Amino acid sequence: MTFTRYLLTVMTSGIIVFNSTALQAVESNKTTQLQLLELKQQINALEKQLTETVLPSSLAKNTEKANNPLQIGLSGLFAMGRSSVDNTELSNLQAGGHDPDKNGFTVQNVELAIGGTVDPYLDAQTNIIFLIDDAGETVVELEEAFFTSRNLPWGLQLKGGQYFTEFGRQNKQHPHTWAFVDQPVVLSRFFGGDGLRSQGIRASWLIPADWYSEFYLGMQNAKGETVSSFLNVPGDDFGGYTLIDRNARGFDDLLYSARWLNGIDLSDTLSINLGLSGLWGPNASGTTTDTRIMGTDIYLKWQAETSQRGYPFLAWHTEVLQRRYEAADPGDPVQDILRDEGLFSQLQWGFKPGWIAGLRWDYARADGDTSADPMRDTRKRLSTNLTWHPTEFSKLRLQFNRDETEHLAEKTANSIWLQMEFSLGSHMAHTF
Amino acid sequence: MKLILKQFIYLLLLSAVINTVHATLRVETTTQDLAAIASVIGGSHIEVHSLTIGTRDPHFAVAKPSMIRRVYRADLLLVIGADMEIGWLPPLLQSARNSRVQPGSPGYLDLSETVKLLGKQQGPVTRDMGDVHARGNPHYWLDPRNGVHMAKMISEQLSQLDPEHATDYYANFKAFEKNVNTKFQQWRSELKHLNGKTVIAYHTSFVYLAEAFGFSIVDEVEPKPGISPSAASLNALITRIKKEQIGLLIMAPYYERRSARYLNEETDIQIAVLPQSVGAEPDIQTYPDLFDAIVKALKTTGEN
Repeated sequence: MTFTRYLLTVMTSGIIVFNSTALQAVESNKTTQLQLLELKQQINALEKQLTETVLPSSLAKNTEKANNPLQIGLSGLFAMGRSSVDNTELSNLQAGGHDPDKNGFTVQNVELAIGGTVDPYLDAQTNIIFLIDDAGETVVELEEAFFTSRNLPWGLQLKGGQYFTEFGRQNKQHPHTWAFVDQPVVLSRFFGGDGLRSQGIRASWLIPADWYSEFYLGMQNAKGETVSSFLNVPGDDFGGYTLIDRNARGFDDLLYSARWLNGIDLSDTLSINLGLSGLWGPNASGTTTDTRIMGTDIYLKWQAETSQRGYPFLAWHTEVLQRRYEAADPGDPVQDILRDEGLFSQLQWGFKPGWIAGLRWDYARADGDTSADPMRDTRKRLSTNLTWHPTEFSKLRLQFNRDETEHLAEKTANSIWLQMEFSLGSHMAHTF
Repeated sequence: MKLILKQFIYLLLLSAVINTVHATLRVETTTQDLAAIASVIGGSHIEVHSLTIGTRDPHFAVAKPSMIRRVYRADLLLVIGADMEIGWLPPLLQSARNSRVQPGSPGYLDLSETVKLLGKQQGPVTRDMGDVHARGNPHYWLDPRNGVHMAKMISEQLSQLDPEHATDYYANFKAFEKNVNTKFQQWRSELKHLNGKTVIAYHTSFVYLAEAFGFSIVDEVEPKPGISPSAASLNALITRIKKEQIGLLIMAPYYERRSARYLNEETDIQIAVLPQSVGAEPDIQTYPDLFDAIVKALKTTGEN
């Protein structure tokens, strides 16, 4: 009984509604058309919203799933070679910590690199290196471990941790990306065997110019063997001065660095980088002594309009550096100012896919009579090499070095090196 | 003095307002193909620029400092994806400090996620297999049907970023779709003679073209993707070409020609050098131009 009544009510109300709309439609056709149009527009808007919000975001999820892993890579760099001088003399000529420096075999650098995105605010990277020293012992170094900010406003970026100082172009490069088997002479002299790296923070600012222009400002600890022109290891000798144990007493005793880097595309095929760098910090030859290093770098690269695997190309890279080292405190009878300078200029010619020929000129000197000091004498070195990359992940390099240097009894030395590199894991970045 | 300062601030505010109102979207793309499609869809509402040029293999580009500046200012970044830019885009995105165009943001569109990729690898992938892209072959823009789909995705992304002009983007997409679909029928009839034919390619970059025009690529000059051919691998290929009577070799302009010439001398195989991207030749400026040029190059060959 109740059910039939319910049914009837529903039916009648339905008829009434239907009738009323039908009547209205007859009465005012125009209004309905307008309403219909409105409805259509609403539906369209909703549909649009749906495709916009649902579709791309579901696709975006797909992307995230596919490429969010940690970047892990291991690269091995080995060399064998023969020189006209013995291993003791060779260690002064090949002063870089990753240079091949033995008659025979050298494990130059085995590097584990792990990097990735920490969270929406930070990226992080760490490079741990393994070496075999003269005694056959394995040495482990925390080469770099740092974070960088991802999206600070106004083109700013912060970096902090243990990292290579942004000074010039070469200092920041890891050994497996070098164009030669060894480090330029002037860098070994000014920054020590491992390159200039330390603990600290730096800010960089992408200057709002029409071209790429970035300014870096940083401060780092000035102590240790990886900041050799500053508070190097106590007891060590520097230009005849024995280094004292000097600690940072405040922000004054930290190492300050600045760099201004500009990048301009001169054409589709020609690009240039121009940089100016400076370093200011205390040194351990006295209690109030300071060191200043200035440098300028230029990098010019031409790549053919039509190129296979990035070849052919021609790249010219030159850096000029100057150091002013206050030796011993004022009032000390041996007080002096040590001035050193040096440059390297190198050319790389990628003449066919996978093949690169290289030529490098090194020069370094210092004021005064420094002919007996292997780290400050007048030195010239000419290097030429041929590199073959079978794929992006391996290389074979043959290099010849001709040294002319004052401290050697023979005055000259000839060395030949064969280098091999492999790279496992994540795809290495294509460096400009 | 005070008045001047006041006026100056007023002017500054005004220019800021004008900037936000009339700002055109800055779109950066990793290839000229993406730029060509985007510029048609976006019309005058966007400014498009490609980070690489079409005469080069986009996989081997380098992260130049000038690109950092461009990506920093971009509102939308369009990428080919499927590991095509793996060597240079990740470091570039890290240096560009622009959260608008990071993966997952509305300003980042990886088109490879929106099309059906060929050559997805089943089972493990090792580098012994050469330069194999595990997620699929990334040269998908060489199928005009994919081009239409890419245009659709780009128009949707632009509408999301700039809803005010959504109807324009949709209309531009519709016109693009109609244009490419009509031309596709034309191109297909012009390349009828290739239907069912077997072809050799230099690199695995033309699988989508083969799919679109109904021919099949049975082998490559490279013994493995990205690995240069050796005398032994070329001789094995000669045997195959002769045995199976393969009549056509297709290759992109930026590969060495010596191997192809050698194969041609030994087997009489015809060689067609096909542009692979917009911008590969000076007169290839639009997406349909690319297929016009490909069809022109293929029409005169492979007819026997």
